[in-house]
Amino acid sequence: MIFTIFKKELKDTLRDRRTLMMMLIIPMLIFPVIMNVFVSVSASFQEEAATKKIKIGIVGAPNNFLQTELNAIPASYGNKEVIPYKDTLSMLADLKIDSLQLGAYVKLDFNTYLDSMKPAPLKFFFNATDMGMQERAEGYMKIITEKAIQQRYLKLGVNQEKVNPIETTYTNIASDKEMVGKLAGGILPYIFIAFGFIGCMYPAIDLFTGEKERGTIETLLTTPVARWQILFGKMGVVVLSGLVAASCALLGLFLSIEVLDVVDNKEILNIIHSILSPTFIILLYSLLIPLTIFFAGVMIPIAVYAKSFKEAQSIITPLNIVMVLPAMVGFFPGVELNLITACIPVVNIVLATKELIAGTLDFGLVALSFSVMFVLAILAIFVSYKRFDKETNVVM
Amino acid sequence: MIEVSNLSKEFVLNRQQRKELNTTDKTALAVDNISFKCEPGRVFSLLGPNGAGKTTTLRMLSTIFKPTAGTIKIAGIDAVSNSQEARKKIGFLTGSTGLYARLTPNELIQYFADLYGVSKKDLEERKERLYTLLDMKEFQNKRIGKLSTGMKQKVSICRTMIHDPEVVVFDEPTSGLDVITAENIIKLILDCKQQGKTVIFSSHIMSEVDLLCDDLAIIHKGKLLFSGTMSTFKENMKAENLTTEFIRLVHESQNA
Repeated sequence: MIFTIFKKELKDTLRDRRTLMMMLIIPMLIFPVIMNVFVSVSASFQEEAATKKIKIGIVGAPNNFLQTELNAIPASYGNKEVIPYKDTLSMLADLKIDSLQLGAYVKLDFNTYLDSMKPAPLKFFFNATDMGMQERAEGYMKIITEKAIQQRYLKLGVNQEKVNPIETTYTNIASDKEMVGKLAGGILPYIFIAFGFIGCMYPAIDLFTGEKERGTIETLLTTPVARWQILFGKMGVVVLSGLVAASCALLGLFLSIEVLDVVDNKEILNIIHSILSPTFIILLYSLLIPLTIFFAGVMIPIAVYAKSFKEAQSIITPLNIVMVLPAMVGFFPGVELNLITACIPVVNIVLATKELIAGTLDFGLVALSFSVMFVLAILAIFVSYKRFDKETNVVM
Repeated sequence: MIEVSNLSKEFVLNRQQRKELNTTDKTALAVDNISFKCEPGRVFSLLGPNGAGKTTTLRMLSTIFKPTAGTIKIAGIDAVSNSQEARKKIGFLTGSTGLYARLTPNELIQYFADLYGVSKKDLEERKERLYTLLDMKEFQNKRIGKLSTGMKQKVSICRTMIHDPEVVVFDEPTSGLDVITAENIIKLILDCKQQGKTVIFSSHIMSEVDLLCDDLAIIHKGKLLFSGTMSTFKENMKAENLTTEFIRLVHESQNA
């Protein structure tokens, strides 16, 4: 009987355009569309930044060290034109109207400071709303300062090696897979949680509140099928919809990586491929299934209680934020799966998935996370059953 | 056969319901200790004004609601303790019955046949008979959402009868329907009577009651004002016609 109800509800759900949009189309398209836009926009920005010729104004003595060195920096570091100014006021006025992108002020005796081995003051002006200009100035200054230092070493007759007492090298012992897992691994469960929730939402409202609103539940309750069987049949569709929506979002993400060539770095691409092993997918779903059941179990009592689609939607939508917020913990560096975090629902799934991706899995903690979600899922089913069994809630 | 003894139903009122009903009582007695019997091959009508407790009574008979007190026997089965078995014997149709708009009549009938455990052979036979009788073949594969009210009513009838129930419960089955569409229901009730089924229906359309029923019960504010055969009711009438007698009885009980 559960399967008969499941089959019918699935057919009914798949014929609902609104649910289909939320379950298949939006999750599937969202990442390719966002990534496509992101890639093309960032590519055009990069291209513009690379070809853009910036104008740098300088107030100072003619042929000062800064001006000479700026002119000497090759165009491969970015096209530029150095324009001497007589006073800072006119330079700043031009900077304000974007006739200039950078302005530099050096004292008339700038070269004297350098010759006398004193720190030579230099002031750069830029408009922070003009993105990347500070970085451009810093880039130029790194080259120029390095040259000035070399000149001083030479003048002082100092061996550079003698000035550097310690030569430090920093070696990262984390594998690339671990790095990707720990740093970017949070995004995968976040996507799953966000889309899993949205995927569950519409079928839950449609199959419970909708059935009440349309007056079909009364007929269903007069059939010789136990209420728990009706609940399980319907719940199965809600859970499946959540899993399908989340899987579609992941598939969309995977396709945009593969087809749209979002990831240029071949090494990272190889890591992504090695992460997506069948074992990983099985383990991921074994964590996410109780989570989706938990979502369904939270939504169903609300959907059963609500008298209209609108009422159900107005209660469940804010709940989305409450559920998805803990998933953002996955983005914070340093938050790891331990005995405490493994007991916090949703957070535990995010962190366990991160560990799973990084390959630094502690099976004891994962089992604890799974058990916590499993118990919560059972509890949610029990609450749903109690609510569904309450006659006044099922019939309007 | 339906046997109802000392049936009561009490609802717990929440704050909003108390406000709506303008009462401080924490409970409301929708049905108050009623008893009646519906015989096979006879049509029993449950009459009463709005809010009398008709729908609550019929929902208890069809096991949607559990009674607070009393017993219900459907074809000899205790509908309170063995509701699942009792449901197999019941066909339930209301005027406000909705249908799954995204399914076709064929899919819907198949679904309910599966829920009632109807065998494939029986399903095919009954489908053929009902589809011919109700002239449903033309639209059997169209989505229900695209059908007219009359067509939908036919699908509802077919859905109610597909498991060949011994007892048929109709809750204001013709409400909101035009005369032509309502005729299908009238025909169905007469058909059921002819086939020896037990029929109970609630209504406040007196012409329908006069036309169809053999036995009747009048209910008001959850209490039974009359229960007996139609002929006894007519014999003891103090008013000119059924409608005025019904109104007289309701007023009398209000003033009592």
